[in-house]
Amino acid sequence: MNQNIKIGVSLYSLSTQFIHEELDLEGCLKAVHEMGYKGVEIVAAQMVPDYPFPSDEWLFSFRGLLEKYDLEPVCWSAYIDMGTRTDRDLTEAEIIQCTVNDLIYAKKAGFPMVRTQHAISPAIFRKMIPFCKELDMKLTIEMHWPHHPDVPVWKEYFEIMKGEGKGYLGFVPDFSIFQYMPHALYLRQAEEFGCRKEALDRIVELHAQGGDLVALESGDFTPIEKHYAEEMFGKFNHPARIEQFRDLIDCIFYIHGKFYYLDNDEHDPCIPYEELIPKFAEYGYKGYIASEFEGHHFYSDVDCTEQLAHYVALNKGILEKL
Amino acid sequence: MDFVAYNEILICRKPIRNYVVAGVTVGYEFQIKYPSYRGCYLSCIEDLFFEMDGERLDAVNTFFGLNDKQFTLEELPELFREYWYVNKPATIRVMLPGGIAKGEHTLRVYMKHRVPYTGYFGSYLTLESDRTETLVAE
Repeated sequence: MNQNIKIGVSLYSLSTQFIHEELDLEGCLKAVHEMGYKGVEIVAAQMVPDYPFPSDEWLFSFRGLLEKYDLEPVCWSAYIDMGTRTDRDLTEAEIIQCTVNDLIYAKKAGFPMVRTQHAISPAIFRKMIPFCKELDMKLTIEMHWPHHPDVPVWKEYFEIMKGEGKGYLGFVPDFSIFQYMPHALYLRQAEEFGCRKEALDRIVELHAQGGDLVALESGDFTPIEKHYAEEMFGKFNHPARIEQFRDLIDCIFYIHGKFYYLDNDEHDPCIPYEELIPKFAEYGYKGYIASEFEGHHFYSDVDCTEQLAHYVALNKGILEKL
Repeated sequence: MDFVAYNEILICRKPIRNYVVAGVTVGYEFQIKYPSYRGCYLSCIEDLFFEMDGERLDAVNTFFGLNDKQFTLEELPELFREYWYVNKPATIRVMLPGGIAKGEHTLRVYMKHRVPYTGYFGSYLTLESDRTETLVAE
């Protein structure tokens, strides 16, 4: 059994219950504790009241709640909301302000790491090094679909992570970058939006064969079916290659174990966990993989608790064999 | 399509209340929430309008209340420092002499909004949240 990789949870997985006000933040913490989780991530823009200016009182009380439920704060997730303004993107000063603030809030709440996003820019990422050292905080960039290691800006990020930011600056691969098939909720939605079941089956088949646009054009498909086919071919036909992460493993401080829908404890038909987990283990990854259920984007009637249970069982099954 | 399920929270399933000033009913209020999994700045709202029983509400007489402040609908795109927490309802006040009749009403809310962190290759994802619910006026 591999002991270096631990399965944690992003509270974001409980988005449905949270935004429908079935669970408040403490309810979410209690729920993940009862599911057996230890390491947790919070999406600050989602669950922190008065964000982006939470009070010290709130931050300290949140820290107390984590202790109450015997949870380990792992990652404080922040955004670079570049498109906040209608007239222009964020300026350097604005990006620095929100990033510094998130590092401070995370520190006060007891988290050792902030996840930020690709739009921070290499120049600002580099400027965060002294601040991270001063606070003893890690700052990581999430590599999320549609990004992948070959996107040019990431080469600059890797250089900084391996060089002057070593040990403080890193990245968080989100397993969305490895998705190669559409998930069940995506297909359910496509049918509800008017795609015929048999046409959808054929489109999935075409996708699995490489996404033949000529066959799509010449086939018997309605405009909505073609729309879904083109989206499917574009989204899931270019997954990142796991080998690309071998030489980057020292820069990976955390992983987002993205998944959309699991109907069993054994296999995810969209993201190749049976390949990914052993490879990350072989490359020497040490740390948490966050259970990150994202089916709540599509449907609110999916039981998140059951999904997380499937996810933990799937990963434990793989880790036990290592 | 991502984000679609969040539209379910756009209209709060709470009664519509008449707005009474010194015994005079001058309008009515209902509540909406930001249709996402997370909060956002009001400046990300690119368009917002309402229809009550099939009739579009006049934007000039419709006020947007949040964070102990009140805004006009037309100024929302400028409010890049006003954060809308995902579980905090905004109160929409409609100025209408006499208010709204008791009983069931059909409310449609249309919001076009930008997801501000999605510019992976330059352009931002823009969502259209369009919900209709039957609410009861008290």
